[in-house]
Amino acid sequence: MKDARQADQSHWPDLIKESFGKSFWIFVGVAAGTATLCYIVLDPDTFASVIARDRVLLTGLLPRVAAAQILAGFVWVLLPRDRMSAFMQRNRGKRGLIFAAAAGAITPGGPASAFPFLLILAGTGADRGILVSYISGWALLGIQRIIVWDIPFMGLEFSMFRLLISIPLPIIAGMLARRLAFMLPPESGPPANDGNP
Amino acid sequence: MNSAGAIILYSGAVVLGGVALARRDDSFRLGLARAVQQAVIILPRMIFALIAASFIVTLIPTEIIVAYLGPEAGIKGILIGSLTGLIVPSGGAVAFAIAATFAFEGASAPALVSFLTGWSVFAAHRVFIFELPLLGARFVLLRMLSVIPLPFIAGAIAMLVSSS
Repeated sequence: MKDARQADQSHWPDLIKESFGKSFWIFVGVAAGTATLCYIVLDPDTFASVIARDRVLLTGLLPRVAAAQILAGFVWVLLPRDRMSAFMQRNRGKRGLIFAAAAGAITPGGPASAFPFLLILAGTGADRGILVSYISGWALLGIQRIIVWDIPFMGLEFSMFRLLISIPLPIIAGMLARRLAFMLPPESGPPANDGNP
Repeated sequence: MNSAGAIILYSGAVVLGGVALARRDDSFRLGLARAVQQAVIILPRMIFALIAASFIVTLIPTEIIVAYLGPEAGIKGILIGSLTGLIVPSGGAVAFAIAATFAFEGASAPALVSFLTGWSVFAAHRVFIFELPLLGARFVLLRMLSVIPLPFIAGAIAMLVSSS
């Protein structure tokens, strides 16, 4: 419970500062730049239609992301994190990557669901190989996507051909992710109790 | 769209919220506090990332990208397919419309597999809207490096399978 209390003590000024930090302003800058370019190079009507589309997208997206954050918050509090990371440690081999890819394949929905799930997974102490394998499994083998997009556009035969070829790919990506020699920053998720007996 | 995923998110939040409440300790409040904390950090970025991504997609002329992926076969087809897949920054509707057009124009199966694999794992707009704000730049870099070989591998397997 010690971790949780730490999170609770976060101060609003620090939070606001992090929220409107450098990467926020990069996004604002790119948005403003491309918006201006669109207004000048294309035309004001296109600009207006993009803004209108964004409003529709955001009204659909924001409630879902909010729900994902609430879900992630409860997972973070309720999950026995020491036992969870022990479980993850035990599944460091290829078996863990295969599980992760399979979980990705059956994750329903588009990126608005899959990426919040990935965030929750990262919070459980899953290693980078698991994370990459999960999201690649969703991207390449996602059953819902194959039904909604692949089969109608490409036909059943080609879709199955692509699916069979793609089965090993998330696992390859996960193995590569484990080999790549650079450090991820300390999780923005739960601080692992590393080194504290 | 994506309704099943949304239902899982909403019902998951309600169920786990109930479990946290039933514990009759600080769990419920701590979980919500954590959610607010994360949302305050992520949501502002996400909003502007989405706006930026939609303007980028509007500005990039997809037709020009598409013109490069003709009926090339063999290794050249796989290379062009992979690279095209990596740079098409749009959702399923556009990507699959492109793939179907390629198929109609006689693109080889390995080139199509490479294209769809490259698009699936990269899809730049998705990275920009979701992955970057939610997981941070270093994770994105790590994942990008891990998945770069996949479209080429997929194309190569497709070529071996279809030639045998």
